[in-house]
Amino acid sequence: MQMASARETQRKVMTSARTDNADYAADLLAQVAATQSRRAFSELFRHFAPKLQAYATRQFGNEQTAMDLVQETMTNVWHKAHLFKPDKGSPSTWIFTIARNIRFDILRKNKHRQNDLSADELWPILAENNESLDDDYSLDGKVLMQEISSYYAQLPDAQREVIERIYIEGKSQQEVSDSLGIPLGTVKSRTRLALKKLKELITAHD
Amino acid sequence: MIKSHPSEANLFQYVAGELSAGLSLVMATHVDMCSQCQAAVADIEETLCKQEFGSTEPLEALNCEQMMAAIFASSAPKSVVRTPVESMLSLEGKRFNLPNTLARNRDRIGPWSHMVGKLWRAPMQVSSDSSVNLIYMAQGATVPEHTHKGTEATLVVNGTFNDEHDSYHDGDFILLNEKHRHSPQTQQEDCLTLASLDAPLHFTSGISRLLNPFSSLFFR
Ligand SMILES: [Zn+2]
Repeated sequence: MQMASARETQRKVMTSARTDNADYAADLLAQVAATQSRRAFSELFRHFAPKLQAYATRQFGNEQTAMDLVQETMTNVWHKAHLFKPDKGSPSTWIFTIARNIRFDILRKNKHRQNDLSADELWPILAENNESLDDDYSLDGKVLMQEISSYYAQLPDAQREVIERIYIEGKSQQEVSDSLGIPLGTVKSRTRLALKKLKELITAHD
Repeated sequence: MIKSHPSEANLFQYVAGELSAGLSLVMATHVDMCSQCQAAVADIEETLCKQEFGSTEPLEALNCEQMMAAIFASSAPKSVVRTPVESMLSLEGKRFNLPNTLARNRDRIGPWSHMVGKLWRAPMQVSSDSSVNLIYMAQGATVPEHTHKGTEATLVVNGTFNDEHDSYHDGDFILLNEKHRHSPQTQQEDCLTLASLDAPLHFTSGISRLLNPFSSLFFR
């Protein structure tokens, strides 16, 4: 820091203020995801690594472990930027939850057995997931498959086909999209429509 | 309608990753089932993030460059693909739909065994710091009165049970410590619960004390 010229310092402050802006940071993440932009990543790194370092130092009180947490967190940001969903929260909250997961596992690593529950299994923030299935949990949580199966014959073929593959064959939406040769967006909208329809059918018969 | 939720303090500890793995699993399952706590968790994540990321610790410029170089050279961490796994659980001729957290960790659910009376149990392999079980109470079942050494969290996954204090339905979360004693029962309806405990139950009433060996079977 002592070497930094006034101009550099000023630039860093400006960059930092810009990275504090959630939309700007989200845009950097999108660039990392789309083009593996090292420039965008280093901007994120310079903003978040010192925060992660402070967090980890408070948690562990051990500089090496703290550095490990910073590196592991930012490694995930580099490789998993595509999993950041702007509609689910800010980039900094996303990065914080990644760090929280890593901390959870580091704290348990030595004390416990190998097949203990890991943070990813509790909070699957880095799973390549079908987010719309979560959104529609309110349906599958309350309704028995038996009930669904008696109603889903009433769905249009295109929707039934998607629901069958996801809920019965256990395929991901991406896999359904690949196997049926239809866009992922279409799979998502058909799932959503089908679940909405099922919900109506079931409530109507309750 | 869920009426019994984790406290705000518990939700903070959960989000911060401060709770035992077992209790965290029960909380996560409640959150799956409860839109109110989903919203609370999202708020708390944001609040904790602001708090934890509020200060910075300058890294040496050299370390920064080295670390970034290492990151660019690293191979991608293995990716976890979340497929909607089989979420139905069959037991005693009934089928239950498992909330996401349980469905995702289905391979951790051990075999069902018949305990006493109308009680069944399946242990979940979670961690050595807590014991987690799925417990199925058929209609008209009673768990002998007991207190808890440590903290017992119970979540109703499906059905209804009562104790001296109240009756609990789908999604209700109950946290009891050594000060509480209770004897859960079912009446007309059966009940599937998820329970975590960090120490063995302690049976307090008459003949039930003879069942103390049972507690180590029940929660091991
Ligand atoms: Zn709740």
